[in-house]
Amino acid sequence: MSLVLARLRPLAAVLALGAVLLAAVACGSSDADAPAATGVKEVAVTIAGRQVTPPPGRVEVAKGQTVRITVTSDVADEAHVHGYDKSAHLQPGTPGTVEFVADQSGLFEVETHGAKLQLFQLMVR
Amino acid sequence: MLLAHGVGGRQDLPIPFEAALTGAILALLVSFAALGALWTEPRLGASIRYSRPLSAVFQQVASAPAWQWVWRVAGLLAAAYFCLGLLFGPDRAENPTAGVVYVLFWVGLIPLSLLFGPVWRHVNPLRTLHLLACMAVRRDPAAGPRPLPEGLGYRPAAIGLFAFVWLELVAPERVTLPVIGTWLALYAVAMLAGAALYGSHWFDRGDAFEVYSDLIGRLAPVTRRPDGAVAWRNSLDGMAGLRPAPGLTILVVVLLGSTMYDSVSNAPFWVRFVQESALPAPVTGTAGLLAVIGLVLAAYLGATALAGRLGTAPPGKTAGELAHAIVPIAVGYLVAHYFTLLLLEGQHTLALLSDPLGTGADWLGTAGWSIGTAGTTPASVAMLQVTVIVIGHVLGTVLAHDRALVLFPRRTAVVGQIPLLVLMVLYTVAGLLLLFAA
Repeated sequence: MSLVLARLRPLAAVLALGAVLLAAVACGSSDADAPAATGVKEVAVTIAGRQVTPPPGRVEVAKGQTVRITVTSDVADEAHVHGYDKSAHLQPGTPGTVEFVADQSGLFEVETHGAKLQLFQLMVR
Repeated sequence: MLLAHGVGGRQDLPIPFEAALTGAILALLVSFAALGALWTEPRLGASIRYSRPLSAVFQQVASAPAWQWVWRVAGLLAAAYFCLGLLFGPDRAENPTAGVVYVLFWVGLIPLSLLFGPVWRHVNPLRTLHLLACMAVRRDPAAGPRPLPEGLGYRPAAIGLFAFVWLELVAPERVTLPVIGTWLALYAVAMLAGAALYGSHWFDRGDAFEVYSDLIGRLAPVTRRPDGAVAWRNSLDGMAGLRPAPGLTILVVVLLGSTMYDSVSNAPFWVRFVQESALPAPVTGTAGLLAVIGLVLAAYLGATALAGRLGTAPPGKTAGELAHAIVPIAVGYLVAHYFTLLLLEGQHTLALLSDPLGTGADWLGTAGWSIGTAGTTPASVAMLQVTVIVIGHVLGTVLAHDRALVLFPRRTAVVGQIPLLVLMVLYTVAGLLLLFAA
């Protein structure tokens, strides 16, 4: 058994080094992230002929910030924010709006249910 | 109420770049330590050295026929309860069926197998149905009309696993009851037909879920010894006991590749590509799934072939002999990828299970549960993800190192391992990059 332990020593050393590195990274990053949650984050999306403008990407907001999403579609549909379960009925050509406070962190898909299009991903940090 | 297109509303934030970088550096360091300084004699493998058995009381309980029947009946009852919601529940997001299949069952089997071993073979309701049918006609369940063909190996399980990950990640309307119900019915028919033809041993390597639970369960700290006693063992010995068989390589590659595709499919570049493509989404999705699995397979076959040549191993043996070393890497990635889903959607599904028919009932007393994060924060989840990926990498590297000492003559053992370590670092870094970018 002690022979096995002796052979495992280099591995243990590497793991210990890694634990220190990881701890350093974790401590370093926890100070940095706490951007001020002020103002309303406006996101506007247009859908025409199944084409989403701007193209699907990620929108980052701070936790606690108010998010107002305005969707204009050329067909009747329903816009939906996954996870927060907020929806807006969309009439052709008329903007529909969802407004909520982003109070849980994570990555949330915003999509339309009828056309099954992803509009963007909301990143709440 | 419309159905959401997938299970789970909230996804993990991408891991911070520093965490991904640290994980990658650790993977490199571990690999070099393994190459240079680890043991120089093969220690793991066929002659598994078990340490002490569990207490005598537990042995008596675990060996009793009643113990086995408790689990079989529990499996049948759980399946029957599940079928209530599947067959008679409303096809809405409040139906627990999709959550049970994709979260409690598929993801929940990972921690259960990691702790207790191949649990699914003991509760598999299809195995029990076959056993009951054989008992009714007074036939030996193990003896089918035909012998199980030697060359079949893990191929049926690999096909079943691919069919399931396709359902989970690609199939259109995959959280609706008709789609889940049709898939499960076809699967049950295929499994029972296999068992009727070849006997109950068919399930050992033919049932994708038993094989999935068995692969992961080889890392469990307990096992049933050949003499029937339940004993503690070294997880690495358990994993090294996975011997080459037809289809094994494909099986482990599908397990790793499909989880990687799940990450890719969430990346904005892939979403844009699918939505702007003229092809229907299931076609691009299927192509993407096949492409990621194909890349993982090509890297594996290339690296093991090169290792075999450099290490002067008998040709054609390295790929199968080293497949077990991929399993911990895949398990690490599965845990990193699905941990929060199990934690949050698992609670959500348990709450929904209290009312499978959508009548406002509260049969299990869980309907009013509010879903808690159990103290997890984005930072702690990221930390856990990198940690389990690195642990998977360490175990995979140690397993590959040990097997390389068996496969390669001492003269070429070090040079033969270089392609293997490059492969492991490649898989690990790819996994970390996907968690960072997707």
